[in-house]
Amino acid sequence: MQRSAGAMKRLIIKRLSLMLVMLLGLAVITFTVTNIAPGDPARLAAGPDASQEMVEKIRVERGFDRPLPARFLFYLGQLAQGDLGNSVYTSRPVAQDVAVFLPATLELVLFSILIAVVLGVPFGVLAAVYQNRLPDHAIRFLSVSGVALPMFWLGLMLQWYLSLELGLFPLGGRLGIFDEVPPRITGMITFDALLAGDPATAGNALKHMVLPAIALSFPALAAIIRVNRAEMLEVLGRDYVVNARAQGIGPFRIVAIYALKNAILPTLAMIGLRFGWMLGGTVLVESVFDFPGIGLYAAKAAISSDFEPIMAVTLILGAAFMLTNLLIDLAYALLDPRVRNQI
Amino acid sequence: MTKEPLLDIRDFSLVFDTFDGTYHAIDRVNLSLQPGEALGLVGETGCGKSVLTRAAFGLVPTPPARITGGSVKLAGRELLGLSDRELRQVRGRQVAMIFQDPMTYLNPVFRIGTQLIDAIRAQSGGRIKRVEAKAIALDMLEKVQLPNPERQLAAYPHELSGGMRQRVLIAMALAAKPRLLIADEPTTALDVTIQAQILDLMAGLVDEMGLTMIMISHDLGVVAQVCSRVAVMYAGKVVEDAPIAQIFDAPAHPYTQGLLAALPHPFRRQDRLASIPGTLPDLLHPPSGCLFAARCAQAAPACGVPVPMRPVGEAHRVACTLYDDERKKEPAHV
Repeated sequence: MQRSAGAMKRLIIKRLSLMLVMLLGLAVITFTVTNIAPGDPARLAAGPDASQEMVEKIRVERGFDRPLPARFLFYLGQLAQGDLGNSVYTSRPVAQDVAVFLPATLELVLFSILIAVVLGVPFGVLAAVYQNRLPDHAIRFLSVSGVALPMFWLGLMLQWYLSLELGLFPLGGRLGIFDEVPPRITGMITFDALLAGDPATAGNALKHMVLPAIALSFPALAAIIRVNRAEMLEVLGRDYVVNARAQGIGPFRIVAIYALKNAILPTLAMIGLRFGWMLGGTVLVESVFDFPGIGLYAAKAAISSDFEPIMAVTLILGAAFMLTNLLIDLAYALLDPRVRNQI
Repeated sequence: MTKEPLLDIRDFSLVFDTFDGTYHAIDRVNLSLQPGEALGLVGETGCGKSVLTRAAFGLVPTPPARITGGSVKLAGRELLGLSDRELRQVRGRQVAMIFQDPMTYLNPVFRIGTQLIDAIRAQSGGRIKRVEAKAIALDMLEKVQLPNPERQLAAYPHELSGGMRQRVLIAMALAAKPRLLIADEPTTALDVTIQAQILDLMAGLVDEMGLTMIMISHDLGVVAQVCSRVAVMYAGKVVEDAPIAQIFDAPAHPYTQGLLAALPHPFRRQDRLASIPGTLPDLLHPPSGCLFAARCAQAAPACGVPVPMRPVGEAHRVACTLYDDERKKEPAHV
């Protein structure tokens, strides 16, 4: 155990340094793409009414006249100091905007992945156990719908039916206008409200997240069901399952413990992947539900050709994706002794 | 044959429903074991040895399999038609199984100790507590001569060699002191030297615990070491059933004769081992008569109708028309 703890530490350090290299690559790509895209950043920064003279002045001041590589190095220097640039649209430092909007998105995505995992894993198991029977058919119908229905369309349908027709959930936003925003601790309203001892507000924040979370989690739910079902089917046919049955071990224990611990490993990889995709998916869902998170922020920035927020959001989502994958790999090592021995 | 048999399989038939049609895997098999007997069940890969012994105790999923007739009695109690729960108790307590490949029959993500203790508790129907189960596990690991039992409990399967894993599986199977042991090619996946050790160990335990055993194998040599009687299966049917000496000295069925001829001989130079010409019959559309007739040099028109088992000596039975009184009168026309 001592030995593997040391190995684990080395693995984490190795992967984190690798992440820095990948982030650098990502920065090169986003920087190049945003700067090749049409539009004059100096003109944008100066505003539509500025004279040509003003625009030129800003161009020199902000360094927009210098060659691309030099500007990239300058940008990297800024990044290293934690300076993500400024948003023309909100006219605030991007880092400040991110601090406001990222927790909201994290809250939403965590809630969504929770739904997808809590429903997806048991559904996958059930479908495998009742292969080709009614529960399997019903669950597969759900899973195919999840693949087929576009997220934004599902969001609109949920709004129309559950919110406008039935009035069960609010149409959008993060809190009602009469709710008092709890003092900011984590930036996630549900947690902050609970920490402030205000369960009513926490419940209300949760209620605002239900519809966007359903829309966001549906494709992930479908993917998790499919992977877990396929893995369970495979594992349930393995020799060690036959042996467990030959020992007289009961079916529940065989399915829920002996088989699931083996089948959950590939499912975990899918969960990690889907977590990353969800972060990207927030651009659509947050726009539909007017949920003030980082996806909506990025969408608004893109519409107004506000480059620095876009680059910052891309880098942050990239880093989150890589971190998630690292966490999944560590979970792998935790669950599978064979992987643990390889690191 | 005066005592009640421990295991009595009568006219047992099983099919698999596949997309291509009905696959007749086991056809009206009869097998009977006296307490304390060690029977070798031999035949080539795919002849139904494993399916027969697994299906008899509810280990073959239905569907796709379907038992189409017969009876399986363990110590006088009919097993076919028992509920899942009842079969589970039979498997845990009275019948133990050891399988072919120790590499794949242990769960890779659980410790040896966890798997042993779980199995022992399941065998007892949950009556044994964890602490007691652990004591039994340690005791059993010592019985199967695994070095450092205490340490092995904390190990994962991939940290053990094939021979060690097979010892663990034997310990697991025998922990409940079962009456019947089914060993399904227990040494096929092991090195030859380890094979001998495991066979010795098993023979010793069978003796010590007074077990009745079915040893499934396609290796007549292995069977000869451990068993007193042999049943030969071909394409889902038992074609010959005889004491071990009879099988080697006077094999009656042409298929058994072919199997024996295919064994390498230690004192004779052979450039090429003998083989049986032809391939297995199509069990989706099995012929109505003898399934081996198409590959048999001594086949006759009489082989075209169903051929029942008939006695050809003391405790020696065979399913072949060669031993019909009518056919004996005239020499076979080949």
